[in-house]
Amino acid sequence: MSKRVVITGMGTVNPLAHSVADTWRAMLDCQSAISPTELFDARTFPTTFSAQVKDFDLNRAIKGAERHVHSGRHCTFAIGAADQAWKQSGLDEVAELDKSRVGIYLGSGEGSLDFDNFTSLMIDAWSEGKVDTSKWAELAFQRMDLYRETEQESNMVLAHLAAHFGLSGPAFNVLTACAASTQAIGEATCLVRDGDVDAIVTGGAHSMIHPYGLTGFNRLRALSTRNDEIPTASRPFEMTRDGFVLGEGASVLILEDYEFAVNRGATVLAEIIGYGASADAFRITDQDPEGDGAATAMRAALADARVEPKDIDYISAHGTATQQNDEVETKAVKSVFGDYAYKVPISSVKGMIGHLIAAAGATELITCVLAIRDQVLPPTINYNVKDPKCDLDYVPNKPRPAKVDTVMSNSFGFGGQNNTLIIIGPR
Amino acid sequence: MTRPVAVTGLGVVTPAGIGVEEFSTAIHEGAGAIGEITLFDSSGFDCRIGGQLQGFSARKFVPKSYRKAVKVMARDIEIAVAAADLAVKDSGIVTRAAEDQEMNIDPKRLGCKIGAGLICTDLDELGTAVNTAVENGKFSFVKWGKHGIDNLTPLWLLKYLPNMLACHVTIIHGAEGPSNTITCGEASSHLAIGEAARTISQGAADAIIAGGAESKLNPMGLLRQSLLNRLCVDGNESPVDACRPFDSRHSGTALGEGGGMLLLEDIDRAASRGARIYAEVVGFGAACDQGGIDIETPTAGGLDKAVSKAISSAGIEPQQVDMIVAHGTGVPREDSCECQAWKTAMGDALADIPAVAITGSIGSLFAGGGGTQLAIAAKALETQQVPPTRNFASCADGCHLNLADHPRSEKIKYVVSGSFSIGGQSAALVLKKRESY
Repeated sequence: MSKRVVITGMGTVNPLAHSVADTWRAMLDCQSAISPTELFDARTFPTTFSAQVKDFDLNRAIKGAERHVHSGRHCTFAIGAADQAWKQSGLDEVAELDKSRVGIYLGSGEGSLDFDNFTSLMIDAWSEGKVDTSKWAELAFQRMDLYRETEQESNMVLAHLAAHFGLSGPAFNVLTACAASTQAIGEATCLVRDGDVDAIVTGGAHSMIHPYGLTGFNRLRALSTRNDEIPTASRPFEMTRDGFVLGEGASVLILEDYEFAVNRGATVLAEIIGYGASADAFRITDQDPEGDGAATAMRAALADARVEPKDIDYISAHGTATQQNDEVETKAVKSVFGDYAYKVPISSVKGMIGHLIAAAGATELITCVLAIRDQVLPPTINYNVKDPKCDLDYVPNKPRPAKVDTVMSNSFGFGGQNNTLIIIGPR
Repeated sequence: MTRPVAVTGLGVVTPAGIGVEEFSTAIHEGAGAIGEITLFDSSGFDCRIGGQLQGFSARKFVPKSYRKAVKVMARDIEIAVAAADLAVKDSGIVTRAAEDQEMNIDPKRLGCKIGAGLICTDLDELGTAVNTAVENGKFSFVKWGKHGIDNLTPLWLLKYLPNMLACHVTIIHGAEGPSNTITCGEASSHLAIGEAARTISQGAADAIIAGGAESKLNPMGLLRQSLLNRLCVDGNESPVDACRPFDSRHSGTALGEGGGMLLLEDIDRAASRGARIYAEVVGFGAACDQGGIDIETPTAGGLDKAVSKAISSAGIEPQQVDMIVAHGTGVPREDSCECQAWKTAMGDALADIPAVAITGSIGSLFAGGGGTQLAIAAKALETQQVPPTRNFASCADGCHLNLADHPRSEKIKYVVSGSFSIGGQSAALVLKKRESY
């Protein structure tokens, strides 16, 4: 018999704020976290701005931060977010918690590249149009650091969280680009349902705001280049949208077996009732233009949740603000929801916080839980000109009070991974 | 597992052979495929050997209409694409890759879960662009932003995203079902296959291409593993004898490139189409430990817990296990941790259960290694033979695994395979021989 899966804790470190409460307040205040890139000199890049996490100091956020001194930027965000979630869940106060029954399932990105050394090596060992690997090795052994190099493997965030909480249950990291943390939460749900774990720490962390990350997305022409209108550059579903804004951060949720949570007197924040996953199997560069893959994930989640499209009160969109994503997502919603697509409110918080890549879905799921708690929908900001191809109700420009109980959250990744979650309020 | 899942296809790409028959024959004969590194000039490294693929061309494994895409495949992606193609063909399932036939599976019920690692960028490719943005011998952000970045192909980033292994595979085969990319180092393949079995068992897919692929045989990979002090540095003169897992003379691992994919399938579907069933996946366990951040003093990532869970989820006792496929990196401190983990999980039964480690033949394949371990496990159920462990003569201190330097004929019904990552995650799977009905 499959177990019910509930959310009992949430934490986030993102460009808007370093806590769930402050993030939500900023979103309901329609704030934008997008500003000129300060992490490195990006003034001559096609895109000069991003959504950066500012002034986050792990030493102030948690006790015992010195253990994590080698961790990459995204990893410090993850530890901070996970610590908040863990405390909210109350698991830190459970005496005799069986930590072999507590797992970790993350969608975390690669660690922080040692950019200066990595790059200078390619210059200093350059010879006749290629890297002289013999010289490169000699210099690399002098310059490169064991910890910085090892921490780049994306599974290292698991190691830090396992150490921080003392966990020994199953541990997975997935990296399905922009869908990763939604996928992680979905697969974590499957582990709880099957009774493999009593509780699981899940979500995602990522920072691609480094010179090669920005380069990669700029070369793909995926980013907004609205360098003259930085705070309003991210315009999901809007006519003048010209790409996403690269963000960074981490969001973590604690999922538990409902019975386990209730028996220990935990406060249930929401329940995960549906998960769907699919692949476009179309092209590495483009989404399926008809949105068939995205629709498949949404339908699978609805079937898994045993609810009908008309039961969905709100859709938290992937809504990246690229021309392609927003049009395809709109098509997919119409194909799944039929006429009801015009009635169900849809919004994308990426107008405010940018695109946190692997961490995006978990951050957005937190906003879904809060939407149910406060009966209010977060807005799609910077929405001025309607795109005839995107003609649904995107909750433009201001939050909206609404009756919300059943919510769908979508994430789609480069290369065609599609993941959808459905949650309901506490019962 | 709630419900067993069938293994109906095996696809491997390894230094000792491409294709499961060639590979398993080579392992059975104790072949040594580790040699001098020729992929790049490794003269600046203390360890200059590795397991390189021989005569490998990804183009052979890609439908004609998709051959152009090989240009945007990093080595890891090429390996994954080839291993997946071999697994699919071996299974008899017709996918979109067969351009002249109809698919005989609902695309939305065919999934893909692949273990992958951190793919290193080609230093010459990036270096060519970087060296257009140098001022006074130093990298100039201003020049890079202005024109340096234009020297990279627009799709540059897509060569190196770990999920691109699964993306190319799903596109080639028209696999529109659940898709995932697990990045947990050496535990990745086992985790991906375990998760895939669960996905089928829970009903979200009918068949899944599952496994892993990786190559760290590039300067960055060799550097990182050297910094970790994991490589054997005493084997440059005799590479085939250099990597000696669990042997008293073990002195480090060698890097390899490769991977393995399994075609997992709903058991009723497999039986009803008369597929060859190599094995049933009957048990899965995963765990982690808290020592993963102390990368200089590794642990086995909770492998004891993973193995115990895998065995109990299979509904069997340790003494019912007939064969063990160990991870066996050949790094002394890792071998020692691993042996302790198997001992903890298996107890006194361990001494009587024949075991094998294949790293001595092919090197460490990281995210791809588990897939090759499971191919060996599945073949053993078919042949009823435990392959030899290359370069094993006598047990290292504290090693309780029952290894041998020669093949052994055994009655094999249950095989356990396990692995663990640098970083502290582990996973294990139990395969069972399909009983005839």
